[in-house]
Amino acid sequence: MAENDLCTTGIGEFDIQLGGGIPLGSTVLVVGSSGSGKTTLCMQYLINGAKNGERAVFFTITEPLFKLTKNLEGFSFYDKKLIESGMVNLIDLRIISERLGLDAEKYTVEDAGALLDILKDIAEELNVKRLVIDSITALCYRLQTREMIRDFIFKLGTSLAAMDCTTFLTSEVPPQTFKYSQYEIEEFIADGIVFLGDIDRKGDLIRTLQIVKMRGIAHSRTKFAMSISADRGIELTPLLKSRG
Amino acid sequence: MINLANTIIAGIKERIANSAKINQSVGIIVPGNNYTDMLEALFSHMKSNTDDVWAYVAITKPFDTIKKTCTDLSNFKNIKFIDCISRAAGIATLEGECTYIESPTMLEKVSMEAMNMFQGIPEETNKYLVIDSLSAMMIYNDPETVTEFFYHLINKTRANDIHSISMVIEEEELDKYLSKIIYLNDKILKVRDSFI
Repeated sequence: MAENDLCTTGIGEFDIQLGGGIPLGSTVLVVGSSGSGKTTLCMQYLINGAKNGERAVFFTITEPLFKLTKNLEGFSFYDKKLIESGMVNLIDLRIISERLGLDAEKYTVEDAGALLDILKDIAEELNVKRLVIDSITALCYRLQTREMIRDFIFKLGTSLAAMDCTTFLTSEVPPQTFKYSQYEIEEFIADGIVFLGDIDRKGDLIRTLQIVKMRGIAHSRTKFAMSISADRGIELTPLLKSRG
Repeated sequence: MINLANTIIAGIKERIANSAKINQSVGIIVPGNNYTDMLEALFSHMKSNTDDVWAYVAITKPFDTIKKTCTDLSNFKNIKFIDCISRAAGIATLEGECTYIESPTMLEKVSMEAMNMFQGIPEETNKYLVIDSLSAMMIYNDPETVTEFFYHLINKTRANDIHSISMVIEEEELDKYLSKIIYLNDKILKVRDSFI
């Protein structure tokens, strides 16, 4: 795949394992349990893109914006100016939904359609090339059937792909499980799956990252040890195979 | 009268200096009773080469203890520390002069931090990584894991033109895993009183 057709995440070893980056317009499921680094990975991906001139939007459903930005401030990759200048847009989807009257416990087909239109309109209006929904699990909770979930993610992915917008959807799973999603349907529609887990070594938990699926490219399926630090954000190195 | 301890230290220092300069990777096998002399010799060598950059992975002794023994360490900005045991032992202070690893089992993190220490260092600068020690690493990890870690680390340092000095503390007899991995180095130094 030509370099221009790939979206580089800016996370060195991750891009290498992807063979350069994620195919443009892909919808990638970022799977992990609580505290596995999903939000950090997504934010670093957006901010790295914005630093290269790619406008981005982050829709949060699980965390209030003030908490999100407060947590981000500790990372050296974070640049407040990118938020202020509108290169990275942080939007609380719950507030938007409420303002539009989409505050029912469960969405009807029409509600889901309306929400989809809002997301598309915002992406189009802002001309974003990178989009994150954190989390798709929380959003799908309001969709009543598996068909609605499938339809929603499929339509969202298709519309954003047409804009060459590469999308990360975070998927919450219980710890120490090999499920990729709560509703076990999201992974079939997504073009890519990045699994964030952990392994136990002598009682210590080592964070891991594995690219399970990425349509359109030959990628590594090796499990990596992942580190999250304030000064370097996410870093990867091959996980030692010997299990202690 | 000749001070025997000083003569031993000077002897060890000379051997380290000569070997580390020529060889990409040096393994030092040191008897437990000579470990303190060896450390003194090594730090003396590190401090006398201020143009070189050193990353010191402390697993045998915590950084704080090393600092107390070697009181002028903070004057040497070319020596950086990665402490693998203080956090696990609950004695770590705040990061500053030293990078603390949560646990000595997190060998991938040790490797990442070690390589990061040399990022941005000019190519012509001599870079050295010290592992103190493989024996202590074996206490906290399974031998197979340490072996795999060391294979990867040696290859990484070679690929990045970093010299490595790894220590093994020998008791009565060298552990079979340690004797296997220490010979991955280009040069082995066996510290004996006969150095002098």
